[in-house]
Amino acid sequence: MFEFFNSPEVINIIVIIGSMLLFFVGLFGLLTQKHIIKIFMSIAIMETAVYLFFIGSLFKLDAIAPIMKVADDTSKFNDPIPHAMILTAIVIAMAVFALGVSFAIEYYKLSGKTNIDTMNEMRH
Amino acid sequence: MSIKRSLSTLTLSGFTLSALLILSFINILLQNVATNIERAGDGLLKLNSSEGVANVVTTVVVYFRGFDTLGEIAVLFIASLGVGLMLERNTECTIKVQSNFMLQSASKLLFPIIIIFGLYVMIYGHLSPGGGFQGGVLVASAVLLLLISNKDLEVPHAVISALETLAGVSYVLIGLMGLLLSDVFLFNFLSPNIADFGLLLSGGIIPIVYIIVGIKVGSEMGFIVQNLLKRSDDV
Amino acid sequence: MIGLIILGTFITVIIIAFSAVIEKRVSHSIILFMGVGLGSVVLFFVFKAPDVALTEAVIGSGISSLIFLMALKHLGEKA
Repeated sequence: MFEFFNSPEVINIIVIIGSMLLFFVGLFGLLTQKHIIKIFMSIAIMETAVYLFFIGSLFKLDAIAPIMKVADDTSKFNDPIPHAMILTAIVIAMAVFALGVSFAIEYYKLSGKTNIDTMNEMRH
Repeated sequence: MSIKRSLSTLTLSGFTLSALLILSFINILLQNVATNIERAGDGLLKLNSSEGVANVVTTVVVYFRGFDTLGEIAVLFIASLGVGLMLERNTECTIKVQSNFMLQSASKLLFPIIIIFGLYVMIYGHLSPGGGFQGGVLVASAVLLLLISNKDLEVPHAVISALETLAGVSYVLIGLMGLLLSDVFLFNFLSPNIADFGLLLSGGIIPIVYIIVGIKVGSEMGFIVQNLLKRSDDV
Repeated sequence: MIGLIILGTFITVIIIAFSAVIEKRVSHSIILFMGVGLGSVVLFFVFKAPDVALTEAVIGSGISSLIFLMALKHLGEKA
C-alpha cells in the first residue's frame, strides 16, 4: 500500500499541492495580519514555498546529491543549477528582510506605529 | 426560497465545483508528468570534472556563475549599507542587554566551537556541502552570541570595513587577472589538476574565491547584526 | 517510504506555518516560523539538495528569525 506513494508522479503532485498550500497560508497571513513583523514573516513563508516547489519539482528519486566521489564520475546526479539559484535566492531574501526591518524600525522611531492600518501619512 | 437557503445551496455547489476542479487538476497532472526532461545541468556535470572540484554546486555558483555571485555580494553590501544608514544615528534605542551568568559562561564555551565550524564550512566548501555564504553567516552568528553576552563589547568599525574592502577588491582583482591571462573574466588560471580531485588544495581559484566571499558575507552580516543590536549607552 | 516522509513533512510544515500566521503573540509566531524553516530543511535533505538544506538552516531559519527578533525588541509586541 505504501508503494503508491513512491512513484514519481505521486511525489510530484504532493510537492505541487503542498507548496501551493504553503504559499496560500503565507498569502493569508499577508492579507489578514496587522503587525509589520508578521507581514515580513508571511512573505518569508511564501518564499519558502517557492523554494520547496523549485527544488522538489526538479529532483529524481534514483539520482544522488551532486557531490562527486572521483573525477569523471558516471553515476546519476541531480541537477545542480536549481540548487545554485535557490542558494542565491535565500541569501538575497535575508538581505532584503534586514533592510526592510531597518526601515520599519526607523519609521517606528519617527511615528510610533507598527500597525499597517494606521500607516496613512501619505494619504492626504 | 429564502436568501439564507439559496446562499447555503450556492456554498454547497461552490464546494462541489471546486472539489471537481481540483480532482480534474490532479488527474491532468498525473497524466502529464514529464519523465525524461533535457536538463541544463548535465552538460555542466561533464564540464565540472575538468575543474577538479567535488561539489558541483560550488562550481556553478563560483565559476560558471561567478559574475552573478559578484553582483549578489554587491546586493548584500548595499543592504548592509542601507541598514547602517537607517540605524547609524540611533540614539533612542531601548535594547539593554542584561545577560545572565549562564549566557556568559555558555558563550565562552560555545564561541570557539561555532567559529571553528563556520571556518570549516567556509574552507571545505568545494568538497562538502557548504561554502562562503553559510560559513560567513555562521561566523557572524558567533559574533552575535559574543555581542549579546558581553554588554561592553563592540566590533570596531575599522576592522569590519577593512575586511570587507579587502575581500571585495581581491574578488575583482582575481577576476581581472583571469581576464588578463586569458580572455575570460574569472578564468581558472591556477590550472587545476585532475589528480588532486577531492583534496583540500584542488580546484585552482574556486576555493580561494569562496573563502573571499565568506569573509565579505561575514563582515557584512556582522555589521548588520551589530547595528540592529545597538544599545542606547554606547552611542 | 520516501513518499510518506515527504507527505508527512509537508503536512507538518503547513500546520506549523498556519499556527505561526494566526498566533497573536509575535515572539511566539517568530519561534514557530523557525519551525517552518527547519521542516523545510528536512524536505530539502530528502530532495537530495544538501547545500540548500545547510543554507536554509543557517540563513533562512537561523539568522532571519534572529533579525526579526532583534527588530521586535525595538518595535514592541503591540500592533
